[in-house]
Amino acid sequence: MRAAAIAVAALAIEWARAMATMQPGLAIGALALGGAALLVTAWGYRPADIGLGTSRLPFRILGGVALGAVLLLPAAARTAAVPHLPASLALAAVAVSIGEEVAFRGALYTALDEFGGAPLAVVGSTLAWTAAHVLSHPPEFLGAVAAAGLLLALWRWACSDLVAPIAGHVIADLAL
Amino acid sequence: MKAAALIAIAAAAYAVTAWMVAPGFYDGIAPVQPYNWVSPPPEFVNSNLPPASGHQVIKVINGVSEANTAFTNDGQVIFYFLPGAFNSTGLTTITVDIKPTASFPDPGPYHFSTNVYVVTASAPLAKPISVTLRYSNGIPAPSDVYYSPPGGGPWQVETATQQSQVFTLNAAAPNFGYYAAGYPNSAKPSSVTIGSSLPIVVAAAIVLVILAGIPIAVLRRRGGKAVDEEADAEKQ
Repeated sequence: MRAAAIAVAALAIEWARAMATMQPGLAIGALALGGAALLVTAWGYRPADIGLGTSRLPFRILGGVALGAVLLLPAAARTAAVPHLPASLALAAVAVSIGEEVAFRGALYTALDEFGGAPLAVVGSTLAWTAAHVLSHPPEFLGAVAAAGLLLALWRWACSDLVAPIAGHVIADLAL
Repeated sequence: MKAAALIAIAAAAYAVTAWMVAPGFYDGIAPVQPYNWVSPPPEFVNSNLPPASGHQVIKVINGVSEANTAFTNDGQVIFYFLPGAFNSTGLTTITVDIKPTASFPDPGPYHFSTNVYVVTASAPLAKPISVTLRYSNGIPAPSDVYYSPPGGGPWQVETATQQSQVFTLNAAAPNFGYYAAGYPNSAKPSSVTIGSSLPIVVAAAIVLVILAGIPIAVLRRRGGKAVDEEADAEKQ
């Protein structure tokens, strides 16, 4: 029940944010507000419940850098010039990255794990994450989105860590 | 071991899927509509659609042209006209046409990141206008908007501002003629030509994520099944 509520809330926020982002002049506000709203899905969880903490922090940060590098590798190798994220969108991109990780690999993952175990948590959070990007991404991008979500969810499972997915996601969003 | 294998498979899957849609993972910041090129860069040749033209008829009421916009049907270019923007003496309407073109004056020291558009109108301008150019998210972002007069001639820089709408630039438009967005050749980013390097990318992705994950996974196992040391501390 809790997992379903978190999934519905996260999808509603993401879809509303995607539609608002397409409106002229609303992009930055929609991204920042959407990122902040996603944090609410973790209401009631302690930071440690959703994989946040300061123990082993250097390794977590290192893991985040590695995940960010993996997310950026195809772009760096595939295209002669990697696109630039306009500076005005940087803070908004950080807000979205943190919000999405807390909502999907944090709250939703934990709720699904409690309900049906780790396999359900990994698959369910990946499916919800992919569905959340249906409105903001052309269909041909969704395979990459799903694979990125699966990678981050597996990291969350293997390392019980959300710091690295957040760091990697932020790095990837800032670069692209 | 099982976790490492699953993460390696996921990293490889990501590398392959992202490889097929350069530049890969975005987070809702990419434009939904791909850029339509007159002469697409190699990576966009297969998916490219021809760019659209635009046509607008602006009414003249009591000798004053109305405020309006002229835009291409794919939204890649928009010109903004204030009331009285045209010298409209004796006219009842003014037509504005915007066309993407492959024939334009030599760009000289500039690299164009967008199509070149030629804009014409049935009346001369009486007031400044402005233009918004959208650009592709698959290339380096342009820094300036460039203008060349209708008969040709050297391109001049029109200082551009980033719009809150992503992947667009806005600038003053001094007159009708040719417009494009780009950056000086001297600022061109260094290219990374790796050729058919997908296997290398996949291998690098796997190695990176596994190497980074091993220490944290090992430390977690040594610490028992607790989700985190913080969780342990709070439970006690």
